[in-house]
Amino acid sequence: MSFARRFFSRPTAAVGFVVFLAIVIIALAAPLLFARGPFAIVGMPLLAPGSPGLPAGSDVLGRNMMIGLAYGARVSLLVGISATLVATGVGILFGAVAGYYGGVVDDLLMRVTEFFQIIPAFVLLMVLVAFLQPSLTSAVIGIALISWPQVARVVRGEFLTLRSREFVEAARTLGMRDTRIILTQILPNALPPIVVISSMMVGNAILAESALSFLGLGDPNLLSWGSMIGGARSAMWVAWWTTTLPGISIMITVLALNFMGDGLNDALNPRRGR
Amino acid sequence: MGLVSIQNLTVALPPGADRPKAVDDVSLEVGRNQIVCIVGESGSGKSLTAHAIMGLLPRGVTAAGGQILFDGVDLLKEPPGAMRKRRGRDIAMIFQDPMAALNPVVAIGRQVTEQIRAHRAISEAEALKQAGALLGEMGLKDIESLLKSYPHQLSGGQRQRVMIAMALSLSPQLLIADEPTTALDVTTQAQILKLIKRIQAEREMSVLFITHDFGVVADMADSVAVMRHGRVLESGTVAEVLGNPSHSYTRALIAAVPRGESQLPPPPDVRPLVQVNKLTKRFRRGGMFAPGKVNTAVDNVSLTLSRGETLGIVGESGSGKSTLARCIIRLLDPDAGEVLLDGADIAHMKPGELGPLRRRIQMVFQDPFSSLNPRQTIGDILTIGPRIYGEDPKEARARAADILRLVGLNPETMNRLPHEFSGGQRQRIGLARALMLKPDVLIADEPVSALDVTVQAQVLQLLDDVRQQMNLAMLFITHDMRVAAQVCHRVMVMRHGKIVETGPTRDIFARPSSDYTKALLAAIPGRQVR
Repeated sequence: MSFARRFFSRPTAAVGFVVFLAIVIIALAAPLLFARGPFAIVGMPLLAPGSPGLPAGSDVLGRNMMIGLAYGARVSLLVGISATLVATGVGILFGAVAGYYGGVVDDLLMRVTEFFQIIPAFVLLMVLVAFLQPSLTSAVIGIALISWPQVARVVRGEFLTLRSREFVEAARTLGMRDTRIILTQILPNALPPIVVISSMMVGNAILAESALSFLGLGDPNLLSWGSMIGGARSAMWVAWWTTTLPGISIMITVLALNFMGDGLNDALNPRRGR
Repeated sequence: MGLVSIQNLTVALPPGADRPKAVDDVSLEVGRNQIVCIVGESGSGKSLTAHAIMGLLPRGVTAAGGQILFDGVDLLKEPPGAMRKRRGRDIAMIFQDPMAALNPVVAIGRQVTEQIRAHRAISEAEALKQAGALLGEMGLKDIESLLKSYPHQLSGGQRQRVMIAMALSLSPQLLIADEPTTALDVTTQAQILKLIKRIQAEREMSVLFITHDFGVVADMADSVAVMRHGRVLESGTVAEVLGNPSHSYTRALIAAVPRGESQLPPPPDVRPLVQVNKLTKRFRRGGMFAPGKVNTAVDNVSLTLSRGETLGIVGESGSGKSTLARCIIRLLDPDAGEVLLDGADIAHMKPGELGPLRRRIQMVFQDPFSSLNPRQTIGDILTIGPRIYGEDPKEARARAADILRLVGLNPETMNRLPHEFSGGQRQRIGLARALMLKPDVLIADEPVSALDVTVQAQVLQLLDDVRQQMNLAMLFITHDMRVAAQVCHRVMVMRHGKIVETGPTRDIFARPSSDYTKALLAAIPGRQVR
């Protein structure tokens, strides 16, 4: 069976993929559809969803919630994906070197990894973002910094088992250099679990970004789902949609990513599946 | 009538498998107080036939037709509950890998008593007494501490004896042994075979013995059935089948069993290409706070190897033969001693100096399934070596086609991935990869031990042809004296990291000088075949 057929044979994976694709399209199209931006005040505050021109209602300052949700998707996806790419890159580097060389190198790198794992992650993230000044970049750096140890652990484990395989020994006897062995022989075989945890990690990064923004540590120049919830929390009891709609957006996105992760797991490990 | 009578058994594979039936219309009798061997290569259906008797077919695999009569009762019609009671009580089974069959976190005593108490209402103390007696019957010593040990603390032979004790704990009428000695060393194999034979005679039970080795058949069986592609090709008493095989496949199988006597002349006396002097390799174990334990895997070993000759290194597991090979090819760094290649010591060269010399020593690996990168095409696997040394990719591909032809494969297979090939074909690809670098020395580390006998014979022949054609110096590592006899000019016997003896193959086989070599030769199964 092909990769695509295995992936889509799990209905939740197909749903996750379609939903995620829709969110990506909305995020990309937001500036084209709503040129005035999410901060423009369009009417009275706290108008219920379905009011004229306001399918998702307006928030405490009278801004169009629908535009806010579309622009919020941009921030969430951008932070989620960039942070995951950085974390995966760092994690692969640490995990690959530790797993391939073993011994003292492994001990040292793993102690560094553990150092990040034993600190309460979100506290570290808040301190770091506050220290760097809240911005998109600092959120990405902070979230990557608390996420990479997970990748490093998985990559190390894969490298530990793969490096003693005979095809790796064969590459060494051919005279191949270590970097080339790591990149061309071992890494391609270690990719499936990396892809799977990365897809899950995007969801976690989106949650972390929302939490930061909720606490007012997001980029002040950008509207994100988290900051929408944070800004509207005083109106929670009088206008449910101001907090609920961005909350549901976060939930749907993270759920879609997790469904896709499960699907990727099936598709990449056909024998380990159900 | 016999104890077990299999009549027209057919076992169907799930849709999508490479063939519809794993076992096809098989009929077989296992008489009382008799050892029956089913012999065949992988994929012959011999193991599934045995599992069908136990009612332990893998999920999706079903008995589609026929009968398995056990004492007159059709086991295929037995309800699951009744079948479960029979397992262990009437029919017991032992497996190839005792480490996998034993629970690693439960002490031996508990594992044996668990089996007994699942069927009989007796106290733990009572069961423990029975377990101890059983283990003693298996020839195990120091029962008290054995009962408290865990599987990893035992040797392979001890573990298999424990497995047999467990299988016999309820005095079954039929013991099914599925390749029970394949994972063991030769000397251990000989002991376990003797044990099974003794127990069978003492308890007057029936044994169904699954094996791929006609040597084992000759030693064990009263009667034998030869299986291939799910069918029984011929069956009869051992004397009939071995002495006068009627089917050409049986004849081929018997012919493929290495004879255990050398036909090769002693090597020509020329200046050695490789000279190993007093090589030593130690492994240290232990963590940050634990004191290190030192294990000397290779202890002061010296050898020479000339162009055109094959030197066999023979030893059981843990003898250090593979470690020695990996030190010579510098997959491991030796602690002391030298490895001279044309006079240059490569044992202590820095990676930069060693780089260009690496291509002169190449290796063929043991496991055909892990020695090829599953994500690279055959073409890439073959040309990656030459490309490291700056060969033009097009030229390398053209040469790869030639070498594939040399090892007996179609060059059009170059765009395929390793999983599309059989074990024997993969070993050929592994050999082709080594030959692409035009080496002077070829190290073959158990190159045929994972292959079926008929394929084994072909690959051994190929290795020998290639050695002659390319005038290679070959270091051939094996645990199997019979295989060594076939391809080696000289043999070096290793034990516990040391050389026991070394000499021309003929002399070693005809006049072994050490007790250990004598024991190794005596343990070869089926000395009476031929």
